[in-house]
Amino acid sequence: MYGFEAMTFNIHGGYLEAIVRGHRSGLLTAADYNNLCQCETLDDIKMHLSATEYGPYLQNEPSPLHTTTIVEKCTLKLVDEYKHMLCQATEPMSTFLEYITYGHMIDNVVLIVTGTLHERDVQELLEKCHPLGMFDSIATLAVAQNMRELYRLVLVDTPLAPYFSECITSEDLDDMNIEIMRNTLYKAYLEDFYRFCQKLGGATAEIMSDLLAFEADRRAVNITINSIGTELTRDDRRKLYSSFGLLYPYGHEELAVCEDIDQVRGVMEKYPPYQPIFSKLSYGESQMLDKAFYEEEVKRLCLSFEQQFHYGVFFAYMRLKEQEIRNLMWISECVAQNQKSRVHDSVVFIF
Amino acid sequence: MEEENEAQISNLSTAATEETEDQALIFLDSLDDYLILIQTLSSTLRQGWLELASARHSMGASRVNTALLSLKHRSAATKVELDYHDNAKSPQFSLCKWTSTDDKNSYLENEKVEEDEQLKENMSGLESENEESSLESSKGSETTASPCKTENLKERAKVLSMFGTLVSPKLRASQLSFETALETLVNIANVRSSILEAHAALVKDTKNTKE
Repeated sequence: MYGFEAMTFNIHGGYLEAIVRGHRSGLLTAADYNNLCQCETLDDIKMHLSATEYGPYLQNEPSPLHTTTIVEKCTLKLVDEYKHMLCQATEPMSTFLEYITYGHMIDNVVLIVTGTLHERDVQELLEKCHPLGMFDSIATLAVAQNMRELYRLVLVDTPLAPYFSECITSEDLDDMNIEIMRNTLYKAYLEDFYRFCQKLGGATAEIMSDLLAFEADRRAVNITINSIGTELTRDDRRKLYSSFGLLYPYGHEELAVCEDIDQVRGVMEKYPPYQPIFSKLSYGESQMLDKAFYEEEVKRLCLSFEQQFHYGVFFAYMRLKEQEIRNLMWISECVAQNQKSRVHDSVVFIF
Repeated sequence: MEEENEAQISNLSTAATEETEDQALIFLDSLDDYLILIQTLSSTLRQGWLELASARHSMGASRVNTALLSLKHRSAATKVELDYHDNAKSPQFSLCKWTSTDDKNSYLENEKVEEDEQLKENMSGLESENEESSLESSKGSETTASPCKTENLKERAKVLSMFGTLVSPKLRASQLSFETALETLVNIANVRSSILEAHAALVKDTKNTKE
């Protein structure tokens, strides 16, 4: 049974829960997507989006539009909504909202470090960073030569500092080490977020446990598939899996030794929640796996709105909005490349 | 006597006409091959760009973007060589893939028919992923795969590592598509060369026939 959230939640969280539920009703519907999928040019997409909440963000963009411009402006809307909620939030909701952005922070750190390794200009890299993951000293990342310096010079004062304990070495940063660092950081972040939600208790713990466990399991599958045929050893692969989730620990043991997609399928079909996902795929196929996972994620995120007085709705809204932006990116790419027949390959309807 | 001369002239003109027709057929065949290759190139490039967009959709814009392309000095992974066989007027282009000399273990390898077939099988079977899993399992089982295929897989992974070492299969598929497009371009260059040669021969034969 949950605690008595209904009695106390609205004191500090009622306004923001109402705000986020209002934002949720502004998400694009299947009818909107059907209209967008019939567009012939990016300007048509802009015209259709002008009738939605994205209108003010795209109206001043000159033609010809580019797909990255559409994604940037839609992301700006998400950032504005997030910042409004964050500045109105009190503890512990503000910490919860900050946790949602740590994944983007990790992506930005890796982008800067990788780009610097490839001798790219820092300003160019900063422009490509996700706005939700920015922090003050991010540009200083370019001076670090190894992970120890990365931690000591920059990250020690950021929320990512606790996640670095597992990957501090004096080894020079190269492509493999950076990849391992990315996944190790993300693993530590997910586990920390999970513990934080458990500490909050009540409906938040219940709902967020399910959502984060799904995220951890999906990560495990993606790491397995992406590492097939690479130099990543089985032990290193096992170390990148999170220490929670439905697949922990026996599923992880089996995934660690998988050598092809069919073996991954064999492992996942033993778990009833994931059996329908893999039943949609034909043998040897992994192209549609991402869409199947996104569809399952969207289903779970939408279900979280069925309950009140918990923080899961904020996490769910952010993720649904990111999915919407992914949909718009895919539709824009298909229209720009004149590949409208493939538009439904990756669009996931939210409602 | 006059009849014999007329018969000889008639035979010569028939032979010349047949030769002209043969040259015309060669020219038209080459042109047909050229048009088919152009179409193949167009569809392969479209597939490659869509797969790249799909990889970006899957991995995220921060992992697949132009800011990650390396600006470090490195030797080209793939080179085009020009050969003139037997003093022929038309050059022959060939592709030397994955010939980067950055790695000490790399070696020069010409385009091989077997690898073409392997790549073509990969492209046609990419939707089922069976070929890709066999390609990647061949990287793991070095005792059974030929050394050149293993080296190629390593070189491919090395080039792709600028986007990270754990990349989506969609990004690998797009790499294969663009690699196939590069091979098609070289084939187009060769076919174009043979078209020009056939055209020159045809024009010459036509002039001789008129004379």
